[in-house]
Amino acid sequence: MSEKKHRVSRRQFLNYTLTGVGGFMAAGILMPMARFALDPILKGEAGAELVPVAQVKDITTEPQRFDFKVKVKDAWYESEEPKSAWVYKDDKGEIVALSPICKHLGCTVNWNADKAHPNQFFCPCHYGRYTKDGTNVPGTPPMHPLDRYEYKVKDGKLYLGKAKPRGEA
Amino acid sequence: MKWTANDVDMYEKERQYIDTAVIPLIPLTLSEGAKAAVSGGEFVQLLTSEIERQLKGRLFLLPPFAYFTAEEQSARTERLNDWTSQLKESGLHHVFYVTGDRAWKEYEPDLLGELFLLPVVPFEHMDEAYKRQIVHDQTSKLLNAFISRWT
Repeated sequence: MSEKKHRVSRRQFLNYTLTGVGGFMAAGILMPMARFALDPILKGEAGAELVPVAQVKDITTEPQRFDFKVKVKDAWYESEEPKSAWVYKDDKGEIVALSPICKHLGCTVNWNADKAHPNQFFCPCHYGRYTKDGTNVPGTPPMHPLDRYEYKVKDGKLYLGKAKPRGEA
Repeated sequence: MKWTANDVDMYEKERQYIDTAVIPLIPLTLSEGAKAAVSGGEFVQLLTSEIERQLKGRLFLLPPFAYFTAEEQSARTERLNDWTSQLKESGLHHVFYVTGDRAWKEYEPDLLGELFLLPVVPFEHMDEAYKRQIVHDQTSKLLNAFISRWT
């Protein structure tokens, strides 16, 4: 009896197989399309990763320059961009990592380079100056304080991320 | 700044701050000595781009001034001086030439800009760390030379 109930007619069989196969084909076409559309959301923020830069024990209260490389992806072309940071410990023993890029026109600033103004960051291009914490000295060309790197300390190593304008980092 | 559309935008905005042009002088030849000429030129381009990174707010790195080594030195000098006077007229008061080609040394007094001669370093068979050290040293030397000309 039950056999009879479950008997599948030719019409039903064809219906099932055709929807089944058609469904697979539609899925085959639609899945990659959906994946492509969602791809930018699924991908993590580019450049958000942290890079090891220095040993924490090497960091002193005097700013030191550390050079490192960051992978940059420009469409298909991947390259390494050299970067540097001025790193020191402040009075509270907290690590400060400043970007050496002058906020005026993008030259590289140096610590203690100008004899007339010791213990300041100095930009050789247009004589911009910043105090030790990166604040721009009024009366010199830069209008904003130096950017600060996001940082993390793990296993005695200092990792740096993105440089952010002060107030955000 | 480099010779790119983005940087030229910045140049047009900040004209009063940019007073220096840097021109790499690159020799060309396809006969004997091609390799030496190429590696000298490569070193010059590497160094000038590094300098550009550090002093981008004040100098403009122009496309290289290239010449065949067979070209008469006097013709070359004239051509380069022509570039230089055009640049000076446009407000770039300092014009720095960077080259590894010793041939220019003799003609230095005839040039309108300032010549910076680099030592030629055979880079090819050098290991990475040593290479980086040399580039670093030469860059800071050249950097200080540039800065001292500004004051």
